[in-house]
Amino acid sequence: MEHTYRILLVDDEPDFLEMMTKRLGRRGFQSKTATTCAAGFTIVESGWPQLVVLDVMLPDQDGIECLKRIKGHNPRLPVVMLTGHASMQAGLKGMEYGANDYCLKPIELDELVEKLLIALREAGG
Amino acid sequence: MSTLWQQLALFFSRRPRLTPAELQALFRDHYRSFQSLLTANNNALELMAEMEQALAAGRSFGMSFVRGHATALTVNVYKMVQQLIKLAGGRYHELQPAFTAISREIEQILGRERELPAGHYILAMDEIAKESVDQVGEKMANLGEVRNRLGLTTPDGFVITAAAVRHFLEANRLQAEINRRLRALDLDNLEQLYTVSAAIQKLISTATLPADLDAAITAAYRQLAANSGGEPLVALRSSALGEDSMNVSFAGQYRTQLNVAPEFLQETYREIVAGTYKSQAIIYREQRGFRHQDVSMCVGCLTMVRATISGVAYSRAPDDPRSPWVVIEAAPGLASQVVDGRAGSEVLQAGREAPWGILTRQSSPHTGTPTTSLTPEQAAEVARTAVRLEEHFGTPQDVEWSFDQDNTLVILQSRPIGQQHAVAGEPPPVAAAADSPLPAPLLAGGVTASRGVACGTVFKVRNSLDLLQFPKDAVLVIETPYPDWATILNRAAAVVSETGQVAAHLATVAREFGVPAIFGLGRASATLENGQLITVDATGRRVYDGRVEELLALAAPRPDLMADSPVYRLLQDALAHISPLHLTDPASPFFRPSACKTLHDITRFCHEKAVDEMFAFGERAGYANKAAKQLVVDAPSQWWVIDLDGGFREGFDPAARFVGIDDIVSVPMRAIWHGMTAVPWEGPPPVSLSGFGSIIFQSTRNPQLDPAVRSAMGGRNYFLISKNYCNLSVRLGYHFAMLEASLSELLTESYISFRFQGGAADEQRRHQRVRIMKTFLEQFDFRIEVKGDALTARLEKYPADFLMERLTVLGYLLIHTRQMDMVMGDPAAVERFMCKIHTEIEEIFNPEAKEESGGTHLPDTAG
Repeated sequence: MEHTYRILLVDDEPDFLEMMTKRLGRRGFQSKTATTCAAGFTIVESGWPQLVVLDVMLPDQDGIECLKRIKGHNPRLPVVMLTGHASMQAGLKGMEYGANDYCLKPIELDELVEKLLIALREAGG
Repeated sequence: MSTLWQQLALFFSRRPRLTPAELQALFRDHYRSFQSLLTANNNALELMAEMEQALAAGRSFGMSFVRGHATALTVNVYKMVQQLIKLAGGRYHELQPAFTAISREIEQILGRERELPAGHYILAMDEIAKESVDQVGEKMANLGEVRNRLGLTTPDGFVITAAAVRHFLEANRLQAEINRRLRALDLDNLEQLYTVSAAIQKLISTATLPADLDAAITAAYRQLAANSGGEPLVALRSSALGEDSMNVSFAGQYRTQLNVAPEFLQETYREIVAGTYKSQAIIYREQRGFRHQDVSMCVGCLTMVRATISGVAYSRAPDDPRSPWVVIEAAPGLASQVVDGRAGSEVLQAGREAPWGILTRQSSPHTGTPTTSLTPEQAAEVARTAVRLEEHFGTPQDVEWSFDQDNTLVILQSRPIGQQHAVAGEPPPVAAAADSPLPAPLLAGGVTASRGVACGTVFKVRNSLDLLQFPKDAVLVIETPYPDWATILNRAAAVVSETGQVAAHLATVAREFGVPAIFGLGRASATLENGQLITVDATGRRVYDGRVEELLALAAPRPDLMADSPVYRLLQDALAHISPLHLTDPASPFFRPSACKTLHDITRFCHEKAVDEMFAFGERAGYANKAAKQLVVDAPSQWWVIDLDGGFREGFDPAARFVGIDDIVSVPMRAIWHGMTAVPWEGPPPVSLSGFGSIIFQSTRNPQLDPAVRSAMGGRNYFLISKNYCNLSVRLGYHFAMLEASLSELLTESYISFRFQGGAADEQRRHQRVRIMKTFLEQFDFRIEVKGDALTARLEKYPADFLMERLTVLGYLLIHTRQMDMVMGDPAAVERFMCKIHTEIEEIFNPEAKEESGGTHLPDTAG
């Protein structure tokens, strides 16, 4: 895994973002973070990220709506939903709107990294 | 160009011809969908297996496990359906309604609400008896029973019911928020647990009571005050509803508040409701399989008794349910002081029959002599009442009582004794409990990693090879408790380790499974001999030679904390829409989307059709590069190979019609082929040269011509390969087998899946055949399921070299299973045959027997 991937983490918990940035950094992922959909979307618009990890619960917008917005802007950008909210309905909605995967917190780092790599490959990366 | 090729070209001539580059691009898309589908399939099967194991293993799981797995599973199955439809150019879209219907059913089960009787927010103590339990909780229902059916004195008061608490939570929309916070909870993270628990409690205790409920509580108190003439202080007592289904009460875990003045009634009520989410309560429910939202905190509001002396009575000794006396603990003042062990107190034994005389009396060694003592008349009245309560409720009772200033005996609570001890859960030291003398132990010492007693034969494990040989119900003897060895714990009778601590992962798992374990028992390996029968008393930290029946008689059955709990039943109901497999035969007319009744059916259908699509791509699109090539082999059977991606060596002409084994660089295919060919097949064994054996031999030689369509596969054997993937369909004799493997740097994509189904024999033989295969494959870690004459074996998330070894074993088995048929029915021959298989497999892996390259090295990339 010599590659460096640029990923955007959108989650309303700053602690979580800080920890993930650190841990994913050690696995060759370069991260930018956002605690709201609006802030995340600005980064998406800049064209920087190769992958987005998105929470379902965001303070300014429902995560599924945020997903729609991101996919509307760039349908080919892979998005992995990562959430503590296990809901079949939200999961299926997420997939319907083009999420590559729907993962539940807490998740082992190894498992998450594999899911991110698979999502990147599915997107043709 | 061959005739066949021309025919195909003609057949497809109506389609617009694609250029080779377009074909290549189209194929890439297909292959990518196929890979996604396989990954989702693998995830889905693993999730299903985890859910089934959770039910079978009797381990604890909570709603977050059930909901999380159900969500992940449906997401993966959804993905499979989408990828298949894409792969098949829009066909199979009928899968979508089938999928939607099944997932709705599951969702409904997960969202199922406990039915609470709508009703009054307040019930007076005079209106309550045992049947009121659904409204007032078990504690208050019992107290109502004592008051109204037995006519004993209990404090006046009322209960704020289950309907009331539901109204309170609903009015503030609290339950959804509470559930949301609990879902993200990692129960192993205590710090997080405390934070979440505190936040939820604050949420509840600071919420506003709906005006009607607030008024109802005030009115009920006014009524109580009017009846008692004054403004009495009250005690608010929790009486949880919803945890009683397994006869386990959550004694002492919830709050009780004494001496509450009327102006603090509502505030205290909210605090007691908040106590539903104390951290111990959360953990407890998770472990016992209760849903948090099913617990309704009913609250009793009872006048304070102005007690002169109070205490607890056990209608029989709590540690001996057959004892012929009542045990009474008494102390001056309120009963709660005895329960908490604060005041000076005394312990009495009194007779269970008239005249209920005091047998013994002593001051508690912990608390000193009490200032007031129970009179013989009072003791007799308590004893008589305790026995009466036992007779009424049908089991020994644990009774809280007080004498008030008029010397009237007031009952505050009565509950079964057993319940309390089920919660405490500390079994007595086993060695001490045995009454006959025990033999001298072989070993003594170490630490108790997991309590209990068990007997079995010693099996020492030093490496993973030993592990593979571990016999069921043996005692695992090790030097170091490596975490990986937990995989065989469920097969072990007990564990003895020379080193290690109670906190070791293996110890944790041993406790979970209820497998007795002693760690830190030096010289265990040197003292114990393989095959020696020993008895392990993990509680007493001793190992004995042979079977020690006196100790084994005291062994408790392995725990099943979950069976029949609400969450357990919910998972069971959800699994009914998930795991049964109805679509087993792809040739059947019922192998179609509308016949899919479970998520397992859908995964099976998607996988089968996706593989079909990949097989057929080359032929259908007229794309020679991806069409089947015949493998050039020196064997009486035909093998065809389709390369999806990088399965042939560089420089191989992709349009060629034949391929040599040396042209193949697919790592899993090479491993399988190695197993198939390492030991030459000697033909049918001598026992059965004629008849059946030769039929099978003949069938493999019978050439068929058309390799184009997989469904017309007759006697065809196909490899569908890429560099790190292989799907082998085999029809040897009348058996059908499918072997699929993916070896990847990513464990998520590393697996083996093997299906075998056989005909050409009577039913009994077919069943025996798969049973033999099961026994054999179990030694190689496969997760195996046998249904009738069909066998499924799976391995997931293992590193490539581990999987490759097993692919070689399966390759060997595929070829030599045919011989198995000839010996079946003769147990001695089966035994000899199994020995032979073992020897030959050992030879395959033995370096000295391996002179050809094998070509098995690790894949460089992740496919």
